[in-house]
Amino acid sequence: MKHRKSVILLLLISLLLIPAITACSNAQKNGSEKKAQTTSDPVKQGTQKMKQINHKLQAALKKNDSEAIKKYGKQINTQWLSYENGVRDRFPLQYAKIERYQQPIYAQSNLSAPDIAQMKENSSALEDQLDDLLAAKETKAKPSKLMKQAVNDYLKYANEQIDLLVKTTKPFVAAVKAGDVDKAKQLYTKPRIYYERAEPIAESFGDLDPSIDARINDVDDESKWTGFHEIERALWEKNSLKGQEKYADKLLEDVLSLQQKAKSFELTPKAMVAGSMELLEEAATSKITGEEERYSHTDLVDLQANVDGSQAVYQAAIPALNQGHKDLANQIDKQFQSFDKLMLKYKKSDTEYEDYTKLNKDQIREISNELSKLSKLMAQTAKIF
Amino acid sequence: MDHDLDTPEQKKGYSRREMLKMTALAGGGIALGASGLGTALELFGHKTSEQSAKTTATIPFFGKHQAGVTTAHQSYGYLAAFDIDPSVHDVAKIMALFISWTRLASTLTQGKREANSSNTQLPPNDTNEARDLGAASLTITFGLGHSFFIKNGKDRFGLSDKMPRQLTPMPKIAHESLDPAISNGDLCVQVCADIQQVAFHALRNLIKEALGTANIRWMESGFLNAPKGKTARNLFGFKDGTANVTRAADQDKIIWTGADEPKWMRDGTYLGYRKIKMNIETWDRDSYSDQEQVFGRKKDSGAAFGQSHEHEPVIMSKQPANSHVRLAHGTGKQIYRRAYSYTNGIQTTTGNLDAGLLFISFQNKPQDSFIPLLRVLGRSDALNEYTDHIATGLFAVPSGIRKNEYFAQHLFE
Repeated sequence: MKHRKSVILLLLISLLLIPAITACSNAQKNGSEKKAQTTSDPVKQGTQKMKQINHKLQAALKKNDSEAIKKYGKQINTQWLSYENGVRDRFPLQYAKIERYQQPIYAQSNLSAPDIAQMKENSSALEDQLDDLLAAKETKAKPSKLMKQAVNDYLKYANEQIDLLVKTTKPFVAAVKAGDVDKAKQLYTKPRIYYERAEPIAESFGDLDPSIDARINDVDDESKWTGFHEIERALWEKNSLKGQEKYADKLLEDVLSLQQKAKSFELTPKAMVAGSMELLEEAATSKITGEEERYSHTDLVDLQANVDGSQAVYQAAIPALNQGHKDLANQIDKQFQSFDKLMLKYKKSDTEYEDYTKLNKDQIREISNELSKLSKLMAQTAKIF
Repeated sequence: MDHDLDTPEQKKGYSRREMLKMTALAGGGIALGASGLGTALELFGHKTSEQSAKTTATIPFFGKHQAGVTTAHQSYGYLAAFDIDPSVHDVAKIMALFISWTRLASTLTQGKREANSSNTQLPPNDTNEARDLGAASLTITFGLGHSFFIKNGKDRFGLSDKMPRQLTPMPKIAHESLDPAISNGDLCVQVCADIQQVAFHALRNLIKEALGTANIRWMESGFLNAPKGKTARNLFGFKDGTANVTRAADQDKIIWTGADEPKWMRDGTYLGYRKIKMNIETWDRDSYSDQEQVFGRKKDSGAAFGQSHEHEPVIMSKQPANSHVRLAHGTGKQIYRRAYSYTNGIQTTTGNLDAGLLFISFQNKPQDSFIPLLRVLGRSDALNEYTDHIATGLFAVPSGIRKNEYFAQHLFE
């Protein structure tokens, strides 16, 4: 509650500052840059504080002190929220990178049993990014250059996700081929997350997406059905992996092919933004209805992954949004925060969310509503064109 | 002064100027024309002779009373309720919504459409399905529910001291089996037109505009047709609304609110709503004479028992006991009925039709008319054998909106 209030307060203040910022003459801009190099700069000050808390977190992680880990993980978030608007305005490139490591730390600190190894990794990556921010110069580039940067940043993200998809599909496929139902069930959701985050890329390559991700109602001839969901059905409905080897081989072949193709993939800024809308639309249609993972009921995992993928586009587009659409960026940012906060209620671990069938009608409607709000705002990011 | 906006004492009393400034800052699709609510509009001026009067007829939006109450009954109606989004704690956001709703409603009811952005990467502003249709007598009527003011015992927005005097949660009525998901709500919007597509288009765009500030809770649609000047029939085959008053002086007495209400609520009314499911098959197998006994009027003419014309007075001694008309008439309570019939396919468990009446009535003192009437009918109406009340609602419909003002403006300012 506390940090939410401070977000609202900050948002209001930053909203009220917009006319001042946009009305800034060049001379004033130069003035604020100068200010950025002094110690009274709120961004530098805030970052120093972040580092202090991060050091406490690292000490707690070393000692495996879960109470302290949770405390400092949450404190990092509160500290970040208290000054992130300033970072987003002036250092959009660094902003997105810090968000990427800060968010999972906060998410883990809300779980009953945080993943210590993952937190250590993120905490040390966060430290590097904070140092980077302390040394950073304010981003000022031409709009066209900003868009190019946005696309490059996003592609980097998408390729990382696809690499992780390959990395996590391999053990899953091995378990399927070994006929180990329990292990395969356990390993099923991980590659799903990475796939759902980067899906717009996969969808650009004609047959690959249907071959990897088709649901039974997407095909007219069931005998030609392949991919994750075919194996999902075998695991949860048939509880047997008999005859699944060929599907496992085909799945691995397809994700490897996706990885290969994605490396040389070129994306226009418009297609990037359209892709983020597709992700939200997917979440709002097939995930929220429980159709996507109809056998395993792990729909919420996919839903969050879609939103993550969409958020990556937003983060990449922040430098462009900052050119005259800061108010929109503020609203989107706030809505991603409320969405993530809502989903924390259902999160059990990084790969596990509440079973879709355990949700009641009101809970589904609430998620759907938050998704719609997000989607309505994200549709407005096209203002950058 | 800008920084004062966050202090609690400021929250209650934004001036219109401050508010406009704030919403302009908030941006994000809230396009405001500060004066006259005029934004870029597309004017559809096809006035070819081929276009029927039905398509082009317009009802004024601005005026002393809201339209859609005593307006001649259009053929199609939608009634929808909205809930304020849980993230909204600040009346400024609600004011911004009411401003954009007013802009949209005053545009659509005059047969105009909102123009799209020149940036074609953005979603269109208008959904376009009514592009080639006119206003078709479109009216849009806005109301506020009790839960808008007080929810879970809390004064939500610091407005409860201005609450309409007769606005309460609906009391329990005998013989009802309500579904809360399709009952009540923080806001209500009634949309009526002579072309269903025009009415739907309007509501759809209002829903789209509101998302994030107010979210749709439920929506019902209905139809009702009658030759001009004649009383329409409901799905029981009887005339419905015979007792409605038509003279302005009578309407003032029964429909429009007066000086006992807070200023912003005067010249308004209250919308009472019941969704009444009809057991159509059972009714259709009932004898003709029993149907008349149950209803308390002659089926064809609409005349009361012992009379031969529809508008001749009801003679109580001649009315069948517990007939719908006898009970309603016996209370001496008057309301202004403006109902629509609805159908919604079949009930799959029984194969029976899912159909009935969206009972809508307007009255200035629902606590003294609408609710007592429901109590009496709920207890003993002979019609109850053929009906189920499955949804309910009571909404305050504030005064009409003046030009350059917005819906419920004087509640906030």
